[in-house]
Amino acid sequence: VSEAAKLEGRFKRRERLQGAGFDLALPYLLLAPCVLIVLAVLVYPLWDGLRASTMLYRYGKPVAAVGFDNYLQLWSDPQFLNSLWVTVRFVFFSVAIETVLGLALALFCLREFRGIRLLRTILIVPMVITPVVVAIVFRLIYASDAGMFTAFSESMGGGEVQILGDPTKAFIGLVALDVWEWTPLMFLILLAGLQTLPQEPFEAARVDGAGPWRSFVDLTLPMLRPVLAIAIVLRTIDAFGTFDQVFVLTHGGPGEATKLVSIYGYDTSFKFQQTGYAAALFVTIGLIILAFALAAVRMLRRAGPA
Amino acid sequence: MRAGILRGAVMTLLLAIVLVPIYWMVAASFKSNKEITQDATLYPHAPSFDNYLHLFSQKQFGSYLTNSLVVTCVSVVLALVVGSLGAYAIARFHLKYRLERKVGLSLLTLRIVPPVVILIPVYLLMLDLKLLDSWLGLIITYTAFNITFCVWMMESFFREIPVDLEEAAMVDGDSRFNAFRRIALPLAAPGLAATAIFAVIVTFNEFLFALALTATPRAMTMPRGTATLIGRIDTDWASMSAAGVIGALPIVIFALLVQRHLVRGLTLGAVK
Repeated sequence: VSEAAKLEGRFKRRERLQGAGFDLALPYLLLAPCVLIVLAVLVYPLWDGLRASTMLYRYGKPVAAVGFDNYLQLWSDPQFLNSLWVTVRFVFFSVAIETVLGLALALFCLREFRGIRLLRTILIVPMVITPVVVAIVFRLIYASDAGMFTAFSESMGGGEVQILGDPTKAFIGLVALDVWEWTPLMFLILLAGLQTLPQEPFEAARVDGAGPWRSFVDLTLPMLRPVLAIAIVLRTIDAFGTFDQVFVLTHGGPGEATKLVSIYGYDTSFKFQQTGYAAALFVTIGLIILAFALAAVRMLRRAGPA
Repeated sequence: MRAGILRGAVMTLLLAIVLVPIYWMVAASFKSNKEITQDATLYPHAPSFDNYLHLFSQKQFGSYLTNSLVVTCVSVVLALVVGSLGAYAIARFHLKYRLERKVGLSLLTLRIVPPVVILIPVYLLMLDLKLLDSWLGLIITYTAFNITFCVWMMESFFREIPVDLEEAAMVDGDSRFNAFRRIALPLAAPGLAATAIFAVIVTFNEFLFALALTATPRAMTMPRGTATLIGRIDTDWASMSAAGVIGALPIVIFALLVQRHLVRGLTLGAVK
């Protein structure tokens, strides 16, 4: 039987399954509530946000339609450009470190051994803890007066340790927080991916005298590529929207060293009441992320099942 | 043998990296502010529950906890019901213009857009509807977010169930809807559980919309309430760490109890 005939057979069967009379309306009745809620609470606001982004706001009230001015203004706003640059650096370093560490850990845990279940259980904790609380945990580590680093340093005769007051150290501290929180996710995805790889190629390679490094580069990496790509894409999209942790840890400071676009947008809207400008900013961010996601999906499709 | 020692060392190091930061917060929650900032002790020398009592008697943490539980439960249950129905329609029916596929793809696209993008319009919407600082405002918002996720997850679970079972039930005289209710739904129960668990964790932890949409203990959720303790100049470390422990404890216990079902939700169903 050809593929097309098979496909048609399946459609016929689906149609038969749909029945007649009241049953014909059933799928629409099933879809209606979720479509209506999503239209009202997600799609309408999305459209409303687009409208707001073409308006000039004063003290939270729209006063004039300005077309695309808000969007154009973004690209000559040094604060926006800086926040975008901080975000890109944050995403890049966090995701890169998480991928490498997660992969190393997954390879390390691939063979079952005693204690692995304990390890997997404990690793769940960082990623399910409320992000706000993760930020509190790290403030308690970094703080110059109450911090763990300071306490250790003083117990060994050193002085106070400054982290959140220094631009570079605060940025590294933020990346460290993200790595602590999300490396376990990378680890779990990649471990699940590794466990589904077929064993035969590895055995054949071993018979042929390939060392562990060779079989990692020539076999593991290429076969793991689809899972690796999905994990990186998911993490990147998620990291781009990071807000809670920065809001509590540094609120973008010191200066603007850790001011991600989400924080800048939030302040623009809720602190400085420039609603239209902030809406344009968020629409721009959404478009950037969507473009990234679409490009990634296309790339994955072209690569096909490796 | 050497491999065993190496493994042990790596394991210990990992456990320390995960647990020591958490230990530090838990320890601080039993210390006084003076002990935290001036003495910098490594463990509480005079442990007391004062910080916790203070949160409930002075800082309305009872309300925050109630608000969180109500908002989380209601929005997750609503989303599960509505989302499963929609997911079933997308997984099983073949509509005109491939409508079901288009709905499915649109929901997935909405899922990819980070929530922060619609923060401002949702705030303006709730302002118009006079739903700021209320349970209902949060419930509506969270339900919508959870629906996109539930549809995506449940659709893949329904697709894994063979159609033949429902066909057989219909031959035996079940209506189309009863075939769904009696056959497909029970078979998808594990998927329903996995979806619910993940939705509960994400909703309980949500902060950004709670920050924008609530302003008083009447509707503030746990993460939102915890953030009120974070001062810019003088930080009340003792209260903050106790709040952190209380805020994280319910969800950590919950996650550890149901950890088997967690991974699929976390990865958006990318890895089974």
